[in-house]
Formats: sequence, structure tokens, C-alpha cells
Amino acid sequence: MDSPLTLEPLFHIGPVPITAPVVVTWAILVGLAVFAAVSTRHLKLTPGKVQTVLELFVTTVDGQIRDTMQRDPAPFRALIGTIFLFVLVANWSALLPGIEPPTAHLETDAALALVVFIATIVYGIAARGMKGYLGTFAEPSWVMIPLNLVEQITRTFSLVVRLFGNVMSGVFVVGIVLSLAGLFVPIPLMALDLLTGAVQAYIFAVLAIVFIGAAAGESPGRPTSEQGETSS
Amino acid sequence: MTIDWWTLGLQTLNFLVLLWILKRFLFRPVSRIIEERQAAAHAALDEAEAARREAREVRDAAQVEAERVAAARSDVLAAAQQEAEREKSRLLKEARAAADTALAEGAAELERVREAQARALAEDAAQLATDIAGRLLARLPEVARPTAFIDGLAEAVADLPDATRAGMGADTPLRVRAAQDMAEEERNMLRRRLGEVLGHSPKLTFEVDPGLVAGLELVGPHAVVRDHFRADLERIREELSRHD
Repeated sequence: MDSPLTLEPLFHIGPVPITAPVVVTWAILVGLAVFAAVSTRHLKLTPGKVQTVLELFVTTVDGQIRDTMQRDPAPFRALIGTIFLFVLVANWSALLPGIEPPTAHLETDAALALVVFIATIVYGIAARGMKGYLGTFAEPSWVMIPLNLVEQITRTFSLVVRLFGNVMSGVFVVGIVLSLAGLFVPIPLMALDLLTGAVQAYIFAVLAIVFIGAAAGESPGRPTSEQGETSS
Repeated sequence: MTIDWWTLGLQTLNFLVLLWILKRFLFRPVSRIIEERQAAAHAALDEAEAARREAREVRDAAQVEAERVAAARSDVLAAAQQEAEREKSRLLKEARAAADTALAEGAAELERVREAQARALAEDAAQLATDIAGRLLARLPEVARPTAFIDGLAEAVADLPDATRAGMGADTPLRVRAAQDMAEEERNMLRRRLGEVLGHSPKLTFEVDPGLVAGLELVGPHAVVRDHFRADLERIREELSRHD
């Protein structure tokens, strides 16, 4: 088993080395794109089973965003939902034989954390303005500016390390057990990895909501009743 | 530990691409269909509310109409009752008047019948009295002899007007009707007495009529002089009938 901290390119496209996590991510990207395109082709007011699951997922994401941010979830829906879906599918891709989940590599987790970091800044500035956003670093006092700056970095790193550590450890444990014991022994651990993967996807998405919500601040008004009904 | 920056960049790019794809093909259409369903539900609710409001208005209008109809019905019933009372009073009055008229007519008819019966009874009684008197007088032949009536007849002729009395028995014989056949002596006595009253000896013819009961009757061309019981009894009967 290769070290999770090193990546060997599978091939090169020009000067760009293409590694396994990138290829798996492309596969996930294509699969999700095809699934989304096919499943939303014939949406109806009276939903079928697949549409019902999709609507349940979207309303759940909306409800989570609304409960955490106290804001209209529409501007954040796609980002949070995509983070959750990608991390979940990437984590569960470990179930496929020979596939190593992209989130078991630091670069993928760092890319996700980088997106969240940038989104936090963008949404913060959009909601508060540049001066208002920068002013949040001086809260509750200007003395806290260094700590707040460090917090911005550390919490992003914590996102990376949390996801990376949990997924990588699961993959390694399963790999080690598989190399030491029989074929079916790691199955309980793989089942545990399913749970861990779902929980980590949820945690990553919720933390993204929290970080973005903290940067954007509370909405001047509560979500409307229509939006409230959407979460139910 | 090393970071593969190419991989980091590609994964970031991959995620952004995935974000765009899912936003374009998953979240936007699903959220749109949810909003459409909510809009449809709101529209249905609004429509239902409008229908409920309309139904309430129709119900209120129907209630008002029902109350109006009930009030009109009460008015019509009251008017009909008053009309019925008036008609009843009128009919009672008419019936009472008709009954009074019928009673009056009945009483008048009864009075007429009673009077007619009384008259008939009086006539019957008079006839019966006449018959009884006739029969009783018929049993008194001596008293009833024509002789006893000669003076009375002569006095009655004497009471006639002179013009009537002047020509009696002069040219046309006078008919003398007697209840019994008169003897020659009685006829001469009568002729003599009439001669005294008339101033001349009249010509006489004699007839017997038992219906006279008793007495004489002198029949002339212009006058009839009666002095017999039948005439008396008829007078009595007329008097009795007149007094009843």
C-alpha cells in the first residue's frame, strides 16, 4: 500500500501530472452529472420516487442552512449541497474494489477546504461589505485580530485534517486488516467506514455552513414562512 | 509530507466544475419544481379560501333570503288569517241574516198557515153550526111555517127604495120561494101583505125550496128579498168568519 501522503502520477497531460484522486474525482463528477441530468429531466408536480428523494435531499439541505444561518438558503444551497454530495460519494467510493477515495488524500480535502475558505470570504464581503467583513476580525476587540486571523487559518486546516484523518485512517485500517486477515474480515470495518463517511460528509457540510454563516452574519430578517415550509 | 499542487489545483477545479453542474442540473431544477408545487399549493389554498369565502357569502345570502321568505310567509299568513277572520265574520253575518230571514219567512208562513187554518176552521165551524142549526130548525115545522115569515118579508120589501119597490110584481110576476109548500090561505095572506106594501096587488108564482130551511124569498127582476133561515145562517157565518 502506498503512503497516503505521497501521490504518484498515473499519466501526464502535457506538463500536468494526473494522479489517481483526480481520475476518481472525474469519474465521480461524470457520474453525478449524468445522474443529475437524467433524474431531473422530467420533473413533475406529482413526484416519483427518485424525484421525491431529490426533493427530500434539497429540502433537508435548505433546512440545515436555514436553521444554522437564519437566512434564505438559496444562495448557499448549491455550494453546501455539492460539498455534502461530493464528500459522501467520494468517501463511499472506497466500497468499490481497487478504488481509493479522493478524500483519503490531502490534496482533495485541501481543495474542498480552500473552496470553503474562499466562499467564507466572498459571502462575508457580499453580506457585510469589505469594511464590515474586515471589521469582524476586530470583534469583540481589536486585541482579538491576531487570534481571529489565526482562527481563520486553523479552522480551515482543521477541516482538512479532520476529513483526511478519518477517511485515510479508515482506508488504511481496512487495507491493513485485509492484508492480515481473510477476504471477508474487513467487511464490518467497511460498514463502519460507510457510517464514518456519511458522518464526515455531514460534518464537513455543517462546518462549511457555520463558517460561511459566521462570516455573513445573521440576516436582518428571519426567513419567510414559505422558506420555513420548505424545510418541513 | 509533500503537497501535490497540481492535484490540489485540479481537485479545486473539479469541485468547481461539479458545483456548476449540480447547480445547473440538480439544485436549480429541483428547487424550481418545489417552488412551483408550493405556488400551486398556495394557489389551491387561495382558490379554496376564495371558494370558502364565496360559499360563506352564498350561505349568508341564502340565510338572509330564508329570513326574508320566513318574514314574508309570516306576513302572508297573518294577512290570510285576517282575511279569513273577515270572511268568517262576513259569512257568519250573512248566515245569521239568512237564518233570520228564513226564520222571519218561516214565522210569516207559519202565521199565514195558522191564519188559513184558523179561517178554514172557522168556516168549518160556521158550516157545522149552520148545518146543526138547519137540522135543528128543520125539526120545528110549526114554528118554521111560512106564515111566520110573511110579515118579515113584507117589512123587508117596505124597506126597499121606492123606485125598486114601485114596479115589483106589476108586469112580471114575482117568484116566491118557500121552504115548505104554502097553503092557499098563506099565499093569499102573502099576496095581501105585499099589496099593502107595494100599493098594488102583485102577481106571484110559488116554488118550494127546502134549502131555505124556514122562511120565504121573494125574487123580482131587480131585487131579491130574503127572509129565511138559510140567509140568516149565511150572514151569521160570514160574521163569524169576518171576526175570526
